[in-house]
Amino acid sequence: MRVVTRRLSKAYGFLWAVKDASLELHSGERVALFGPNGAGKTTLLKLLSALLSPSSGEIEIDGARLLPGSSGLRSAIGLLSPEGYLYESLTARENLRLFISLYARRREAREVAEALDQVKLSHWAEEYVSSLSTGMKYRLALAKWLLLEPKLLLLDEPYAVLDGAGVDLLEDYLERLCRGGGIVVMATHHVPAALSRCSRAIILDQGRIIFDEPRQEPWESFQRAFAAFLPRGR
Amino acid sequence: MALFRQTTWLLWKDLLLEMRRRESLVSMFFFAALLLFLFHFAFEFSTERAAEMAPGLLWLASIFTGTLGLTQLFQAERENHCLEALLLSPVDRGALYLSKFAFHLLLMCLMELFTFPLFGVLFNLDFWRLLPSLGLFAFVGTVGFCVLGTLFSAVTLKARARELLLPLILFPLMIPVILATIRGMEIILRTGELEEALPWLRLLIGFDVIFLTAAFLIFEWVIEA
Repeated sequence: MRVVTRRLSKAYGFLWAVKDASLELHSGERVALFGPNGAGKTTLLKLLSALLSPSSGEIEIDGARLLPGSSGLRSAIGLLSPEGYLYESLTARENLRLFISLYARRREAREVAEALDQVKLSHWAEEYVSSLSTGMKYRLALAKWLLLEPKLLLLDEPYAVLDGAGVDLLEDYLERLCRGGGIVVMATHHVPAALSRCSRAIILDQGRIIFDEPRQEPWESFQRAFAAFLPRGR
Repeated sequence: MALFRQTTWLLWKDLLLEMRRRESLVSMFFFAALLLFLFHFAFEFSTERAAEMAPGLLWLASIFTGTLGLTQLFQAERENHCLEALLLSPVDRGALYLSKFAFHLLLMCLMELFTFPLFGVLFNLDFWRLLPSLGLFAFVGTVGFCVLGTLFSAVTLKARARELLLPLILFPLMIPVILATIRGMEIILRTGELEEALPWLRLLIGFDVIFLTAAFLIFEWVIEA
């Protein structure tokens, strides 16, 4: 898979949330996206998932332009967000069945049960999503993507809601996804956790990409670029 | 086939949510019953004037109740960013429109199955033998209401005063449907014959077909906005 953005920009009125973002992502890459609050990380993820239409620029996936109507391309994109994206008055299992059908994936009941078991929600399968905690909802969303098998997975602040066991589950899944040729883009403020596992780091500031490098050891250029965003005294 | 499958699953989801939460159906039933009782106290008319008055009052009750249901139509999608979940998925936007249209049509039909007999009882109307013809007009008119109502419920989804904005936009556009339905039902009540009301029925069917097709085709742009 190859994802290319050319001078991607998104404005909200007169405010540019993302400006001239040009990227090329390849199969197997795990990209960590850093930046201060309001840098445009979430906007960039939503542009890559076609939830937002760019004000200018374009996104191509495997040579095909990504547009809101590109249902074939959307089928290969996943977005894991603390906002949930699950129906509160449906049970965990019903949510999975619904999205499996909407994505036209053939999954047996056994596979759904296995996915719930992997994220440690087997005992909550028949509970309404409204009765799940935030972390459990995130795990359920993870189970959804385990079943839907996207090739491009976008994550927004996963470490903020998951406990230690949940982080381990997530990391195992992301590793399998990248080994299988998928692409992961993770926006996060948890720099050490993300940096230790990423193959590439991007820093956004005020909507612009100010740093974009593949992983190096040691990574002094990243430390210099990110130093301005660290709290005082660190 | 994909469109049918997606529409079915989305409709299943809405029916399941409604069975559990009972927000729309219960409020629509109670509101419709309340309106009919208010009309019963406010209006008194003889059997001779029933043909003139009854269709208008019945349709007022249906439209106001239906509008109440329309404000709740996308409520499940507004919670927990579920609309974004659907837009993120490869689901055909037309399937989303058709499922919401079918869901609201079903609720309206259930509500009218209750309000028509209640109206007949409250106003002492002897229209039971004419119910199939009246029901046909009511159904085709309800389709027209749901076609436009579903579309504009999505248009006003993110508007702040949507409970006010939706009827303001919808009601003027509903004039052909309201006029045709009321005139047709009036003719049936007056003459007892469906044949004389057929021109109005044809107008209604034409309206439904044209606007259902148009709404299905433009819904993608409406919902993405």
